[in-house]
Amino acid sequence: MFLIDGETGRGQASLTPALARYDWLSRRVRGYVPVSADVVQGRKMAMDGSAMRGIRKRGLVMSPSLSAGFSSSVLFVLSAALLLQVVSGDGKTLVLLDNPNIRDTHSIFFRSLADRGFDLTFKTADDPSLSLIKYGQFLYDHLIIFSPSVEDFGGNINVETITAFIDGGGNVLVAASSDIGDPLRELGSECGIEFDEEKTAVIDHHNFDVSDPGEHTLIVADPENLLKAPTIVGKPTEKPILFKGVGMVADPDNPLVLDILTGSSTSYSYFPDRPITQYPHAVGKNTLLIAGLQARNNARVVFSGSLHFFSDAFFNSPVQKATPGSKRFPQTGNQELAEALSRWVFKEAGVLRVGAVTHHPVGESTPPAAYTITDLVEYSIVIEMLSEGRWVPFDGDDIQLEFVRIDPFVRTYLKKNGGKYSVQFKLPDVYGVFQFKVDYNRLGYTHLYSSTQVSVRPLQHTQYERFIPSAYPYYASVFSMMAGLFIFSVVFLHMKEKEKSD
Amino acid sequence: MSLSVIAVISRFLEEYRSSTSNKLKVIDAYLLYILLTGAFQFLYCLLVGTFPFNSFLSGFISSVGSFILAVCLRIQINPQNKGDFLSVSPERAFADFLFAHTVLHLVVVNFIG
Repeated sequence: MFLIDGETGRGQASLTPALARYDWLSRRVRGYVPVSADVVQGRKMAMDGSAMRGIRKRGLVMSPSLSAGFSSSVLFVLSAALLLQVVSGDGKTLVLLDNPNIRDTHSIFFRSLADRGFDLTFKTADDPSLSLIKYGQFLYDHLIIFSPSVEDFGGNINVETITAFIDGGGNVLVAASSDIGDPLRELGSECGIEFDEEKTAVIDHHNFDVSDPGEHTLIVADPENLLKAPTIVGKPTEKPILFKGVGMVADPDNPLVLDILTGSSTSYSYFPDRPITQYPHAVGKNTLLIAGLQARNNARVVFSGSLHFFSDAFFNSPVQKATPGSKRFPQTGNQELAEALSRWVFKEAGVLRVGAVTHHPVGESTPPAAYTITDLVEYSIVIEMLSEGRWVPFDGDDIQLEFVRIDPFVRTYLKKNGGKYSVQFKLPDVYGVFQFKVDYNRLGYTHLYSSTQVSVRPLQHTQYERFIPSAYPYYASVFSMMAGLFIFSVVFLHMKEKEKSD
Repeated sequence: MSLSVIAVISRFLEEYRSSTSNKLKVIDAYLLYILLTGAFQFLYCLLVGTFPFNSFLSGFISSVGSFILAVCLRIQINPQNKGDFLSVSPERAFADFLFAHTVLHLVVVNFIG
């Protein structure tokens, strides 16, 4: 069962590990996070990490990192078996760097994180003292991996522990580059993203910047290629985005992966210095420059193909496409996008929770032990959104309530009513054990699921309709039978036989 | 053909009038009354529909039940059947008839809603 602490919105989870063979665990398995104390029933989360992140593995044939495939799943089981992950606390972030210079070249980004209250710990990626988990508890809430070329993480960190970190509710921000190493590619495929090989880059011969050194790898991405989700990418701006790095492809069947920034239709991903001899890994709009994932436990992961995207140089640089007649912008939109992404991925934006859930018959204020069929019921729920560190009432116009007994009998919209969402409806003419279900899953927001169980009983013997006008003939006939009986008995008993001898 | 049917019927009516005792005739009149009531209820249900089905059932069953009980009374009282009912005197038959009717009407009134 996964629970989210109502106060801070952080998650804690207990996993039952399982080996990763789960073809039947498709996207139909719904989210499972009961997020308030009022929820009577949540769903048991008996899925393993791969289903949590939406990927499917068929047999052992998966990705280029297949040599580690089987042993990694065994390791995963062993490590998962030790885990009772609790990701709680306040903004503790581990930042893994290739070299300490990155802290300076990306100072604006890190300073904005520190200003927002994150507690950053900078380490190089092969530092032998690295550790994400100690005695079953995660030491950090968030992980930033700005070390694209790492071949081997130091200390206790490897792809399995990072994956377990995500499955335990931790958020990860990963930036790659053309020198991407195998661990990051493996981490990507654990989350449904396939990075292209080392030394490849995203190339776009129509949308490169004027200051590109000649290989057309310094891409200018239009804001039109951004995902239409203000919760994730911030307010829409006109400013284009500079990008230089490796491309990604996402499995189109994976329902959890978000294409945050795609390349234009003229972009592709290949080795910039070689002639093209085979079909590129990513072509056109399938090329993902920035991809995100919100796992079923609401952990968020963002993969950026470019570490330079977050750098001070790109934040401050002017940008102009190298096509004749293109507009010159004095500043890129990188800083705004990076800030919006960091807000989304570290759960400062787009986080919802359920407050109090109440239900009662219309006209009363407390729920009965059991409702009766065709009762009028009022249901209300408080939904709050995290905004600037405080929980404020959420504003949504498409939240639905379902009244379910295996199948939904009633499905209706909830209307905002003061500080809560409520609706009045008539219970169906069916008795049984029902649940009020609110299941809200929207792009960029955490998955909200609240389920409250009630019983609905049939009418008591004295609650049926009486004296129905259309049944008057039947009433009349019954009483006439009784009257007839009476008259007949009187006549019969007082009768004298007239002819006895016949 | 039809002549013989009419002849049979008229012969039957003549026999009935002359050779059945008055008690039995009273029972037969009562039976006819019950039959008409029951038939009327059934027709009403066919026309109007079965909405309060429990009411229809209880009214119809009260008619049918009364009919059956009256027929039983008629059989047991008829002196020609005395050989079959040695231990049942006519008074006993009538008492059974009344008792069974009590039970029937209790059930009917409960079910009629």
